[in-house]
Parts: sequence; structure tokens; C-alpha cells
Amino acid sequence: MFKQTRLIMPMLSVGLFCAGAARAEDQGGALDALKKQMTEMQASIAHMQELHQHELAALKTQVETQQKVIDNLQKKTTPGVLPLPDKPGTSIAGGALFPTDDPSVAATLPTPVGGAAPMPTEFPTTDSAVTTTPNAAPSSGLNAPITLAGGGKTFLNISFDAMFAGAASSSGSLDRLEVGDHDPQQRGFNARNLEIALDGAVDPYFEGFANIVYKLDNNNETRVEVEEAFMQTTSLPWGLQLKGGQFFVPFGRINPMHPHTWDFADASLVHGRLLGPDGLRGVGVQVAWVTPLSWYSQLFLAVQNGEGGTGYSFRNPGDSGTFYGRNTIARPINSAGDLLYVPRWENSFDLTPSQTVLLGVSAAFGPNDTGSNSRTQIYGADLFYKWKPANAAGGWPFVKWQSEVMMRRFDAGRGLDNSFPVAETFNDWGAYSQVVWGFKERWTAGIRGDYLHMDDSVFTNDPDRQSRERLSADVTWYLSEFSKLRLQYNHDILKANHFLDSRNEDSVFLQFEFALGAHGAHKY
Amino acid sequence: MKMKRHLTLIVATLCGASTLHAKLNVVATLPDYGAVAAEIGGDKVEVTVMAKPTEDPHFVDARPSFVVKLKNADVLIEGGAELEIGWLPPLLQGARNAKIGTGAPGRVVVSAGLHLMNVPANVTRAAGDVHALGNPHFMIDPIIAKVVAQNIANAYARVDAANAETYQANYKKFETTINAKLQEWGKVMLPFKGQSVVAYHDSWVYFAHRFGLNIEIFLEPKPGIPPSPSHLAEVIGKMKSEKVKAIIVEPHHNRKIAEKVATSTGAKIVDAAQFPGALPNTETYVALMDVVVSRMAAALGGS
Repeated sequence: MFKQTRLIMPMLSVGLFCAGAARAEDQGGALDALKKQMTEMQASIAHMQELHQHELAALKTQVETQQKVIDNLQKKTTPGVLPLPDKPGTSIAGGALFPTDDPSVAATLPTPVGGAAPMPTEFPTTDSAVTTTPNAAPSSGLNAPITLAGGGKTFLNISFDAMFAGAASSSGSLDRLEVGDHDPQQRGFNARNLEIALDGAVDPYFEGFANIVYKLDNNNETRVEVEEAFMQTTSLPWGLQLKGGQFFVPFGRINPMHPHTWDFADASLVHGRLLGPDGLRGVGVQVAWVTPLSWYSQLFLAVQNGEGGTGYSFRNPGDSGTFYGRNTIARPINSAGDLLYVPRWENSFDLTPSQTVLLGVSAAFGPNDTGSNSRTQIYGADLFYKWKPANAAGGWPFVKWQSEVMMRRFDAGRGLDNSFPVAETFNDWGAYSQVVWGFKERWTAGIRGDYLHMDDSVFTNDPDRQSRERLSADVTWYLSEFSKLRLQYNHDILKANHFLDSRNEDSVFLQFEFALGAHGAHKY
Repeated sequence: MKMKRHLTLIVATLCGASTLHAKLNVVATLPDYGAVAAEIGGDKVEVTVMAKPTEDPHFVDARPSFVVKLKNADVLIEGGAELEIGWLPPLLQGARNAKIGTGAPGRVVVSAGLHLMNVPANVTRAAGDVHALGNPHFMIDPIIAKVVAQNIANAYARVDAANAETYQANYKKFETTINAKLQEWGKVMLPFKGQSVVAYHDSWVYFAHRFGLNIEIFLEPKPGIPPSPSHLAEVIGKMKSEKVKAIIVEPHHNRKIAEKVATSTGAKIVDAAQFPGALPNTETYVALMDVVVSRMAAALGGS
């Protein structure tokens, strides 16, 4: 615009000056001169217009070029608008027929060395829309999500898993009938396992895990338990791993698994009665070693305090100070022999590419609180088999067969101040076997048989020492990996002993569960 | 002292022997990475693949035998886009192998240097099985396969410097083959540019991007959520109005559902796969792409 003003001003002044000069001369000549000047002015104005149009055209092209640049930039950053030729044989920009590069996916790829045949680049072979410089870290960028938890961008996975159960039963005291602390404990509704799980890498040497469980008791009071909180090494040589903290001992199969990964709404009888209603866990350390054998073979040794309700068959003071009828003795740890030792050996084989078995033997040794020298030994063997075809959809169908057998030798002493009439040795044992069939995507059906033999004691009327059997069947609908509904039926057969009558009980549970957040994947 | 010196000597000899003569023990989580890993490694590596080619890569069982494989691995090749998140972490915990630990030279994250597509702006499971880092089914784009191959070649060279040249040469060969093949595949696919195709699962976005297809309708209502009758009815309607000719189904998908949709729309089913070995005569990456491209073209070409 400035350019035009600058042109107009001198032209106008020249025109006026000329007009003034013409008046001094004769009128007729002046008229001619004026006419001439008029045409000149008209010509100059036309010239100006022409210039104007040129300028405008230049600006237009400039804008168009800029638009092209913008378009190209957008093409590079938006996958999906790669300039593909319209028809085979049609040339696209740069003379290439079909791109072989794509900066939107991959930027600088190494060019083929001299030996490689130079390609007629008809189809793009690179694409920066999908790739960047090789070895660059995965791009985060401003448009990447800011993840609060999980997503590989946090120091910690946080998850919350809540499990509820509606219960109906012929028994008015489900808390006596059910053997696990996270099992339904009353008719009506139950919230026995609301857990917060945290896990992540501590540093290059350890990873940490914590599982804090809230549960509502039968008076709807909130109870909290630190179910697990431990650190374990990540990179010791020779297949070794150390673990320290509060954790489930590696006894059998169900014990180290959290209830929300169980295939039934309640614990098996042998698990609840021999290892304890809360499972066997405590504060201690563990060493594990994956042996150099050609198959999977791992040895574990856990050492823990083995005390309290979570050390059920060991230094457990019992409910209101009695256990199996004895007034318990608070035995402190005086020597290494007073600790709980849990060794385990597990092996796994792939029978075929779609069938796997896992076999394990475990034991637990430690003192118990029913006598000043009483000790407990538990031995167990477990089997897990799974079939899943090679083209399973979302993990379905499958068949899982899981069985555990446990035997406990429990020295029951005479209790505090030898107040109990006799010392006894109980040889208790039990087993369960369950088959779970994933018959349809996201649906499973399971059946379980439970057997528990508790030695009779003529001096105790403890219902926890009643021999029992149970048959269970359930159907579970996994709406997704993060929610499920389960309907379970239990038929319990409680056997007579010296103080208790035999009876049958029937129960139905409707379990529902949801999980939020990033939950660490589970072991096989 | 003497005993100790002997031991040191033995250990040194063993280690020396293993690095001098043994092949690299390579474990790949998925068969597509494994196929490329074998090509780049040639006779210098021994590749073990964890997932089966016909298996759903989201739901591979963390079988204990993999712990042993990972324990003995020199190199672990993983996607890095959380496709294996449901089964790889517990295996790595069991394997305790520092050589393939996070950030170790032997750990190959093949998605390094990729712009993943479909990165969700907000992560919510209300949208189904979303992958926070983007769509992890990227190997079906040959241009991306080249980057993956190069990431693998670089990792081999880091771990086994003596054979670095071989690995780079194998990479160049792979790249040249892919560049040449891209022309063939491009030519076959070009007539169908802009056409809409339906897929069972949202695992074809990179293929669509590469060959100019429009794959935005899925039999799954949301990723990882099984097809529901109401959603299928909607899909059938859309397919009819957009005159969609093909439905892509992978071996682990429920083909019966796709068949029903195909019957009511007249579309053809493309039995495709993302993993070499999942279809007959697809042992290598290129062979798989050959089959996928030709099946896709056959389905789209029919009137």
C-alpha cells in the first residue's frame, strides 16, 4: 500500500505543476496540453491499477504457498493423509508412484548402502507419520495423555478391587460355616475384600508391592489389614530372588493368591482350617531360586514369625486366648527354631503347546502356642493343569483343573499352666479338587469337591475341629477383565463328633466384583 | 586362595566360551517380532517366540516354561505398547534376568521411534480395552516393520558387537526387500484406495493408513468387548449403506459372528492375520504380507 501512495504523490504534483505552466501559455495550446495530460494521467492511473492487481496476485500466491506448506505440515503430523496416488501408474508428488517412506510414521531411516539396489520409489517406503528417528524414545509430546496411574508413565501402579457377595444359607451362622475370612460371613450382603494394591519398581534393585485390605465385619465396622507389603530383588544373578516384608508364604496354590483371583467365592475347607482363615502369611524373608534345569523348577524358602491369626497353626493365641480348647501360651522367639519355615519346590511342564501342568510340594514347620514345646508340621502337594487352544478368543475357551492335598501334624500341648487335661497329637488332613471350564467367551462354570478330616478329640467341643465335606458349583460371568458376577451353590456336610451333631447346610452366593486402575498382572 | 583362582578361571573360560561360540538367545514376545528377529539374526541367533501365531496377543498365558526361556535370554524383544502387559511382567519377575531388565542393552522395545496411532486423549475403561500408549498392532505396516527390524539389528549389535556388521547387512537386505515388496503390495492395493473395510477388532489401523483403506467399523462395539446383537445390527446397517465388501477376521476371533454379518450384508470374509505362521505358508514377515494383501485384494476386487 505504501508503494502506491509514494507513486501517486509525485504523479499528482507533476500533473498540477504542468497544468499551472500551461495557463501561462496560450489557451488553445493549453487545452491540447490539458487533454494530453489527462490521457497521461489516465494512463498512469491504469498503470497503478495494473500494479495493484499484480500486488494482489502476488499476495494471493503467497497465501496459497503458505497454505500448501501448512497442508504439507499437517500431512506429516496426521497419519492417514499420506499422498497416495489415485490410480496405479499415476505419479504423485516428486515423481514417485507409491511412497516407500512415510515421515509421519518413520523419519530418518538409514538409506540403503551401495550394495542395495536403488529402488524406483513408486510406493512409499518411509513414513514419518508413524516413525521417528530409530532409537528415539517413544514420543510423548503435548498431545499424549497424562496418565495418573499405569500407562507406563508413572512410578506406581495403583488399583482398587472391591468384592461383594449376597448370601443365602440354611445356616444362620455363616461365619462358622465358611472357613475363610474373606468368604461371605452372614446372610444378606457382605463386603469382605476391598483391597488397594500398589506396585512398582523401587529402584534398579527392588520392586515393591503392597496390598491393603479393608473389610466390613458383621456389624458393618471397617477392619483394615496389611495383607501384603514387601520388596523383592529384580536382578540377582543365578536365578535368585530375595523378598522381605509382610507376605503370603509360598505354600500350595491358593494360599499366595488374592481372593479376587480365586475361581470360587470362598476358600476351600483344607485351606481355611489348616493354613488359616486369612491364609498363612506374616513378616519375614524369602529366598527363591529358579534352578538351571531345562524345565521350570523353582525352590523357595520363606522364614517368618508365624504368629497371630495369620500364623493360624503356629504361634496363634487364638480367639480370646484359647485354641483347640487350650489356654494358649504367649511364646516369644527365643531361638531360630521358634520361627516359621516354609520350603516349597514347584515344577512346570508344557505337555503340548496348549497344555501345561504345574506340580508343587510344600511344607511349613514351626512352634504353636498350645504348649511350651508344641510344634506343627504341615505338608502339601498341589497340581494345576490348564488347557487352552492355540486360537483362543480373549483367553476362552479353556479348562483348568486344580487340586491340593494337605496334611497337618499338630502337637496340642496342655496349654497355659498345664490347665488342659491331656496333650494330644492331631493328624488332620484334607484335600480339594476343582475343575473350571471356560465354556464360552467370558463365561466359566466350575465344580469343586472338598474333604476335611479332623482327628477327634474327646476333650474339645471346638466346631473348627469338625470333619466336613463340601460340594460347590458356580457359574461366573466376566463382563470384562475388570468386572465379574458369580453365582455359587455350596452343599456342606458336617460330620458328627463327640460334641457336635451331623448336619447338612445349603448356601447360595452371588458375588460381584469390580477393579479400578492399573493392577499388576497375576502369576500363572 | 588357589581354589578361588581356579574357580575364577573356570568361570572366565565358561563365559568366554559362551560369548565366543554360542548363538544369541533371543526371546520375542510375539511371532511378528520373532519372524523379523530371526531374519535379522540369521544363523547368529536362536529365536524363541512366546505367543503362538494364532493366539490372541492380549491374552497369552504366562506359562512357567517362559520363565526359563527368559532367564536364559540374552535379548528380549517386546512391543513396548502394553499389548503384553497382561502376561509379560510376572514372567520377567520370575526370570530375574538383568540382561533383559528395563533399559538393559538386551531389552528391545520395538516401538521405539514410532508414532503410535489412536493414542487416547483420555484413558477410560468405559471405552473398552484401550491402550494408553496407542494402538499396539503396528507391525502390519511394512514401513514400521523396517523400523522394528532396525531396532532389533541395533540391539543385536549392542549385545554381540562381533557380528554387528552381519546384523546391519541383514537389516539392509530386509529393508531392500520391503521397499521392493511395497511396490508390489502398493500396486495390488491401489485400486481399492478409499474403500471401507470392516474389521473384527481395531487392529488394522496401520494397514489402513499404509494402503489407503478406510477401516473404522468394527464388529466389537469397543476394543476387547465381544460383539453384541444391537451393535452388530448397527454395523450391518452401516455396511449396507457404505457398500462394504470385506470383513477382516483373525484366527483368534469368533468367525461365526463374522459369518452372520457377512451373510446379511453380502460382504466377504478376509481370513487375515497379523502374525507370521498363523496362515498357511506365512512363515516370514514378507510371506505373511503377501498373503494378507492378496486375500484383501481378492475380497475387495470381487463385485
